[in-house]
Amino acid sequence: MIISKRFLIIWWENKMNEKIKKGLPSFLKSTKDVFSFFFFLGKKARKTKVFYLVSFFPVIMVLVIKFVQIFSGLPHVQGIFIFSNHIMVLYLQFLILILALFFGTSVCSEEVEGKTLTYLTTRPVSKSAIILGKYAAYTLLIVLMTGIGLILTFLILNVNNLLDFSLYKILFKYTIVLILGLICYTSFFTFIGTFLKKSILFGLVFSFGWENVIQYFPGSTQRFAIVHYLKSLLPFPSGGRFSFLLFRLEPTSPGVAVVMLFLITGVFLGLACLFFSQKEYILED
Amino acid sequence: MILIIETQNLSKWYGNVLGLNDVTIQIESGITGILGPNGAGKSTFLKLITGQIKPNIGKVKIKGEKIRNNYSLFSIIGFCPEQDSFYEEMTGWEFITSLLKLHHFSSTEIKARAQDALEIVELINDKDRVIKSYSRGMRQRLKFAQAIAHEPEIIILDEPLNGMDPLGRRKIIKLIKSYEREGRTIIVSSHVLPEIEAMTKRIILIHQGKIFAQGNIHYIRDLIDTHPHIISIKCSNPRELASKFIHEEYVLKVHFSSTRDSLLIETNNRDKFFSLLPSLFLESNIEVKEITSPDDNLQAVFDYLVGK
Repeated sequence: MIISKRFLIIWWENKMNEKIKKGLPSFLKSTKDVFSFFFFLGKKARKTKVFYLVSFFPVIMVLVIKFVQIFSGLPHVQGIFIFSNHIMVLYLQFLILILALFFGTSVCSEEVEGKTLTYLTTRPVSKSAIILGKYAAYTLLIVLMTGIGLILTFLILNVNNLLDFSLYKILFKYTIVLILGLICYTSFFTFIGTFLKKSILFGLVFSFGWENVIQYFPGSTQRFAIVHYLKSLLPFPSGGRFSFLLFRLEPTSPGVAVVMLFLITGVFLGLACLFFSQKEYILED
Repeated sequence: MILIIETQNLSKWYGNVLGLNDVTIQIESGITGILGPNGAGKSTFLKLITGQIKPNIGKVKIKGEKIRNNYSLFSIIGFCPEQDSFYEEMTGWEFITSLLKLHHFSSTEIKARAQDALEIVELINDKDRVIKSYSRGMRQRLKFAQAIAHEPEIIILDEPLNGMDPLGRRKIIKLIKSYEREGRTIIVSSHVLPEIEAMTKRIILIHQGKIFAQGNIHYIRDLIDTHPHIISIKCSNPRELASKFIHEEYVLKVHFSSTRDSLLIETNNRDKFFSLLPSLFLESNIEVKEITSPDDNLQAVFDYLVGK
């Protein structure tokens, strides 16, 4: 009896040692596993459904514009012109900021506030993989939200010119810029969420204070706003009601702007991983 | 026995509040019960040994390795936290399989392990219900399932029997004991002595952030048995009842209430007193309304042991 118990213990010990020695899966595999966990969970979340509705607000707006255009008999304005103004006002200055803010800060804060962090940090995955995997999942979710709304907006506004393929080139360019914006802003808000308790409040001040003011400063100061690099990439037509949004824009060259956006993303994601690994999160009762 | 967990001068405080103070212990394989009243520092200790929080002073080693940010160790550790928190929009099945995915098992293995874990905790029939619709007991069992699904060598359970019905408790206790027979290490915390007593004889007493005593449960039981107990009896004739047992050596004090319908008895041998009580009631034809033991809880025992 004693021998069989001892045998059982030795067998179990060997099994466990093998388990550790087997080595950990690559960092990428861990990140991918975290990504699929949160992409799946994110799709089901109530928050996602609410923000899907928010992201459809521009679609409703263009539907109204189109109806007014058709039935009012007012002079016809080019669809692509309304579309680019729409991007500047609604998407660039509001929607992508709101989406990135709420999803980016929640990468860390919803785990702490919901006290579910323990389930993640007691798994054989590094804390950096948790941050990066969840960041990637949430970024993809908001890219899809924005993308669907954007394409619908484009199709509604250009319903009469759907065979004009040069317009699709413009759509493609705008989509890329918005995706870059979402990637960059989400990384910044992910970082904020790892160390600030009131990250949403700070994010709102940053989004609608800093970003909306600094971009209009002359000289190099405007380069301290992320939106400056996004606007530098946009093929915005000159003139029009919303041309004030490009007031004093001294664009950075597209190559540098893209590099800067990726650099900002990398730096903030790196900082987010560092903070998340080192900081102690007390799950309060 | 093999040394599994080792702590050295482990201390943790939250601002001005002391969570744990200078704890140096060694835990071997088998079941170890961590016993202490609410707020004693049990959860802080378990969070420290699982690397959830950083100690202000001291070290923790699991199988000779430091735990904090050493995520590779979690392939052999299963942790059931105290807090009742979940990804509420997931079903029980999704919760277990998603967490198993983070252990990098193949999809076939994930399904098989999730099936086993949910069968063990008897949630297999409710696996497709969303967690937010689960009862307290079911949630507790689900939390337990996620801790055992990857078959860890070290299982750390923070108040695992909270909110469970008696049948569920018995099953989990039986299961924990079976893990001990397999040579695993189980650390289980509770503020209920009989719960720990049913699982193990090896216990650690924590009180006010300090290890108060550790060792065999009989030692603790002896301490508890000599602890003067206060018993309150509400009956039709308290004075007559008192006259019947006042000469007994183990009755230390008797107090009568101002309402004259109850009395408080202090005894240092609760078992003897309770064995005498029924015959006294019958002999004297006294009608009993209520018998309570106001200090029959772990906190009272600890207060007594620390000499409050």
